Amino acid sequence: MAENVNKKDLAKNVPEGNDKAASKEESLKKQQRANLIRTLLPIIGLVAVALIFNILTKGGMWNSRNLILNQVYVVLISATGVFFIMTMGGLDFSQGSIMGIASIVVCILSKTNIFLAVIGGIAAGAAIGAFNGFFYVNRKIKSFIVTICTMFLFRGLIKYIASNSPVAASMEVFNYDLPALKFGITAAVLLIGFIAFRYTKFGMYLKAIGAGEKAAKFAGIRTDRMKFLIYVLAGAITGLAAFINIVKNGSATANVGNQLETQILIALVLGGMPISGGAKVRFENIIVGALLYTVLNNGLTMMGMTTQAMQLIQGVIFLIFVAVFADRQSLQVIK
Amino acid sequence: MSEIRLQVKNVSKSFGITKALKNVSFNINKGEVHALIGENGSGKSTLTNSLTGIYQKDSGTFILDGEEVHAHNQVEANNMGISIIVQELGTLDGLTVAENIFLGHEERFVRFGIKNTNAMNREANELLKKYGFDRIKANAMIETYNFEDRKLVEIVKATYFGPKIVVIDETTTALSQEGREELYKQMNRIRSEGNTVIFISHDLPEILRMSDTITVLRDGDYIATVKSADMDEDSLKKLMVGREVTGDYYRADYGEPVSGEVVMSVKNVTVPGLIKNVNFDLHRGEILGFGGLSESGMHEIGKACFGASFDREGTVTLADGTAVNDIPTAIRHSIAYTSKDRDNESIILNQSIGDNICLPSLGELENGMHMLSDKKLREFADKNAKIMSTKMNSVDQFVSDLSGGNKQKVVLARWIGKDSDILILDSPTRGIDIGVKQDIYQLMDSMRRQGKSIIMISEELMELIGMCDRIIIMKDGEISNELPRDPDMDENSLISSMV
Repeated sequence: MAENVNKKDLAKNVPEGNDKAASKEESLKKQQRANLIRTLLPIIGLVAVALIFNILTKGGMWNSRNLILNQVYVVLISATGVFFIMTMGGLDFSQGSIMGIASIVVCILSKTNIFLAVIGGIAAGAAIGAFNGFFYVNRKIKSFIVTICTMFLFRGLIKYIASNSPVAASMEVFNYDLPALKFGITAAVLLIGFIAFRYTKFGMYLKAIGAGEKAAKFAGIRTDRMKFLIYVLAGAITGLAAFINIVKNGSATANVGNQLETQILIALVLGGMPISGGAKVRFENIIVGALLYTVLNNGLTMMGMTTQAMQLIQGVIFLIFVAVFADRQSLQVIK
Repeated sequence: MSEIRLQVKNVSKSFGITKALKNVSFNINKGEVHALIGENGSGKSTLTNSLTGIYQKDSGTFILDGEEVHAHNQVEANNMGISIIVQELGTLDGLTVAENIFLGHEERFVRFGIKNTNAMNREANELLKKYGFDRIKANAMIETYNFEDRKLVEIVKATYFGPKIVVIDETTTALSQEGREELYKQMNRIRSEGNTVIFISHDLPEILRMSDTITVLRDGDYIATVKSADMDEDSLKKLMVGREVTGDYYRADYGEPVSGEVVMSVKNVTVPGLIKNVNFDLHRGEILGFGGLSESGMHEIGKACFGASFDREGTVTLADGTAVNDIPTAIRHSIAYTSKDRDNESIILNQSIGDNICLPSLGELENGMHMLSDKKLREFADKNAKIMSTKMNSVDQFVSDLSGGNKQKVVLARWIGKDSDILILDSPTRGIDIGVKQDIYQLMDSMRRQGKSIIMISEELMELIGMCDRIIIMKDGEISNELPRDPDMDENSLISSMV
């Protein structure tokens, strides 16, 4: 009986083989198309939004491009650190407060020495990052809980220091408000970040932790150390961004850096970043996302939208992007 | 006798680009244990999961007692008289035993919107008593019980309401002998009541012993339905693999002396609550087996030697004097580890095959400037995936798309790429079909001959007997016996020191 079956099966196998190959190719193409859409959607979105607003404002947006670029730097730099955090599956809501504290430090130290102010800002950011990292890694508390706590904690400190009067920087900082310098720092951070992420172990390790922390550990990655250091790094990068922020504004108010964490999060998601991190993140997410967010924001403002209406529109767009980029692959297990 | 219970008609199901089931049709009768066999990825679980509403089939129909059934979830399937015991843990933490048993059917105990917990517990206790599982208490939280007892609860949950069809999906691999006997008893009871069991297992002797009829699937195709009485293991293997399984299944040599050179020395290793004071030496070119009951602590031995145990005491020392206390040190000194928990610890599911293979070897793949090139990574991954003949479209494919056997191949490809000298393989053939099993045994044998040392931890006694130069039996966290390779060894001589 068994032999009978085998013969029948052999005969069946020939045409089926071709069939299988053809349909496999077809579905492979389908998958590639879906991937292409995922990759292109943020870029198409950016171009479309830029075009629409330029038409609606009759070119007004293009004319104020320097103003827009000026806003993009801070988000771009600090989003790089958060990008690393999110790649390994964490979140950071304390970015705004890190920006605030680092800005205050930059202002105070700028009166002594500008170089010292830059270093001080980075150190202050790194210190808060280490604080986050300690509670996240050593005390094993979920990152979004830890960072929400530090967000309130340091926001409180900022209000205590800067409520009565803003902390002013030395007038000297305005000498550094050069487009070339700001662009240079931003480009340098992005370039180093890109190379490290794309062409070294660092990026592979981050993605591995995001996709499966336990398995990453068993593959020899020191996951705890890595997680801690990434929070320190993200803090330090935002500390650097604080310098650019102060160069632009000249002083730190009680609201300095407020809502930066939301801006970064929205920018990254608009750029196509899956919120769970893992293997599907791309470094381009940062740049496209930050630009898209800033263009959208400015466009809506220029259109004369009220803050409430802007928030409503942003919310809708945010939801659409999260829905498109959510990584549902993990639900699919074949046995 | 042969009244038809379930007709499977032209059922198809794809996952992305993988066709898991292709136009499968066959009949299942009343009052029989109907086994489904096939290699990994042949579509057994996909078929039963489509029947029980865990997946939705793409096309085709299931006809139960003359009526088409289409379950959208497990509760609906239950109401139609179909239940399932899944391979992995199927009970939910945070609920009591009774709540787990009656999950989705609580309405029986609800009056005016209020659940009568006492009535539920009372009924659950009666059921547990009827099944002879008195030691499990209905009002206790499910997580206070071990894996085995939780499986018993699942058996109650799946069978108490007298379903027409009970699907048992590879449940036995997770059970000890005692648990298996319990399950066999229930299977016989269901059959004698005129109902049907669909039984999925990789254990062919068990299939032949327990089932009346066997349906074979291969690569999503229906191959044959045969009477168990007409078949033996070899003819089943032939149907499953589609070719004669030739050559030696395990390694054939006996009496070859093992080198006296010690490559790893384990001294006084204790992991609180799991293993106590374990001492052994691993020699060059040796396959050292660890056997025992699932809870005997043998799985922790692998982790302890890999530096992955939490709170380990004692020392694991290599020939050059290196103490292995953490995973990176272990990997740097050429130790490889594959976990029993493949999907969580051995492999990153949501990452590409290529990245998974390259991950531990990145240090060697980077150039002098610590830079990695995509081309080099790809070649490395391709090469090692090919050595293991992994079934895939390309190394960019995600591991989550692969079947269990192919996942294990990716894990092994990773360590072959790393060229590890000491391999700790925990349950390397767990849930893997014969074809791939044989590949893995041959790989182990050739590694041994290259002078690599292997620690093989397994719940399958036959493979330990067939492959190992030496077998250490664990019992209650301690070494209870040690046996050298011997052609006359049988399972019973091992079992006696296990329990």
